[in-house]
Amino acid sequence: MVDLSVRKGKLSLKNPIMTASGTFGYADEFEDFIDVSRLGAVVTKAISLNPRPGNSWNRVIEVTSGMINSIGLENVGIEKFISDKLPVLRKKNIDFVVNLAGSGMDEYVELARICDANKIHAVELNVSCPNVKSGCLEFGTDARTLGELVKSVREVYNGCLIVKLTPNVTRIEDIALAAQENGADAVSAINTLKGLGMKLSFKNGKFYREQVIGGFSGMAVKPVALGVVNRLKSVLDIPIIGLGGIASMHDVLEFFAVGADAVQIGTANFTTPDISVRIIDELSVFMEENGFRTLEELKAELRCFPPR
Amino acid sequence: MTIQKHKKLNKGEVTHIERVANEMFLIKIKTAPDFSSKPGQFISILCDGHAMRRPFSIMNFEKGEISLLFKRKGDGTAFISALKVGDTVDFIGAMGNGFSLNNDRILLVGAGVGVAPVYYLKKYLKDGVRLIAGFQNSGEIPACLKNEIDFISTDDGSGEVQGKGSIVDYLEEQISRYQPDRICVCGPHIVLKLTSEIAKAHDIPCEVAMEKTMACSIGVCRGCVITLNKNGKLENASVCKDGPVFLGEEVVW
Repeated sequence: MVDLSVRKGKLSLKNPIMTASGTFGYADEFEDFIDVSRLGAVVTKAISLNPRPGNSWNRVIEVTSGMINSIGLENVGIEKFISDKLPVLRKKNIDFVVNLAGSGMDEYVELARICDANKIHAVELNVSCPNVKSGCLEFGTDARTLGELVKSVREVYNGCLIVKLTPNVTRIEDIALAAQENGADAVSAINTLKGLGMKLSFKNGKFYREQVIGGFSGMAVKPVALGVVNRLKSVLDIPIIGLGGIASMHDVLEFFAVGADAVQIGTANFTTPDISVRIIDELSVFMEENGFRTLEELKAELRCFPPR
Repeated sequence: MTIQKHKKLNKGEVTHIERVANEMFLIKIKTAPDFSSKPGQFISILCDGHAMRRPFSIMNFEKGEISLLFKRKGDGTAFISALKVGDTVDFIGAMGNGFSLNNDRILLVGAGVGVAPVYYLKKYLKDGVRLIAGFQNSGEIPACLKNEIDFISTDDGSGEVQGKGSIVDYLEEQISRYQPDRICVCGPHIVLKLTSEIAKAHDIPCEVAMEKTMACSIGVCRGCVITLNKNGKLENASVCKDGPVFLGEEVVW
């Protein structure tokens, strides 16, 4: 039996395969497809202090090898999450991270305080949603503001504090360092890229245009994500959770090779709802067959030679 | 290591594929023995190289075979239309709530490819239903359903049909002739909206089968959300999980 566990500072996972926020609901929806308790961790859909209805326009559109979403952080709010969803996750022994989305500093702090009071082991600060008017992305694009936010949250939250970074910035290293210096236990990268998806047709002398402006995700963004993780690895000491376009075990190995400690599966959950546990199975078989006893051994081997 | 079989993730085999109208196809998929479905539910098909599955209302489920009627519109449906007998189809489903099943006198209304789920309801209930449908022109009428529809209209009056114009134009007449207890409709947004309004004016409950671009088909992505008005209270509902069938009077059009 191989050891797939990840233990680095406060980041502690039974295996490195997590599912990304917004692609896995609150986990219960996936029970028709997989044994969710097998996952390293489920990151919940972003949760705000009050319920949010989300955006009213068309929210998703497919693009080449990916999709654009503009959901607008629709969610049940922290109170309902604590009363309805949390007991289910706990009863089913599902390891989870709560993704928090505030519209201002106070809201993030309050959310983190509630999570701490409810003994939630890990939270992921969503400072990078491109689809809402205030908060969120603003925190993720300015190193000083983010630093202040992380510091304030750190003061009230004792569990594993993960900061999810946006690639829509000039120098992501500065933002990540601000997170690390102010007490973050890990970063996850990347959130979606800002994009516009369009379907244009010309019928009976008339143009028809369907479009969604929002976050670009899916297989097409993997090179961007790998590039970001590679850059982060060169400056950070805290663990990096890599995500962006992962759809196979091979993709996971690529993220390990550039320095990811764990990974999240996102958009691929939509097309292949059992992809996350399939990757766990494939990874353990691969390690077993090739003599890697621990994830650390595998990562060391992946990183010991410079790329050609 | 055991590969677990999960009830909603399925594979089937194409047993029949045929072009039944201009850009419309009928595909039949042999399912695993434990598959079951009811009218109004849908399946979501994996298309190679695409980040989103394509959802289709089930047109019939009989002798272990799902029938789907679909229109070739983009590259996803082009992929499915190019499948051959013997090919494997990876699908999620059956998903969604479906129409209510009781012994009401039901007027079934289909527009275009939207005729598929209401036809399934007709086959399922057998008696006490009347199926009417509208198509753009005679070339759009699926050959496999022509004799199953009680009243057909085409926008331009072409073909051996009973009406000229939208099927909605004939709704008043059909309601007064047939006196239904309930109306079930599937088709473009505008047809659903107008049918729902006419039904409401006659105080007849109307079930609408909605369509919206879906990313996940299982209720997690919140991509296909519509707004419902439940006794004055607005709430979100996902077409894939809470629908695709809704009470027309509750939908905020």
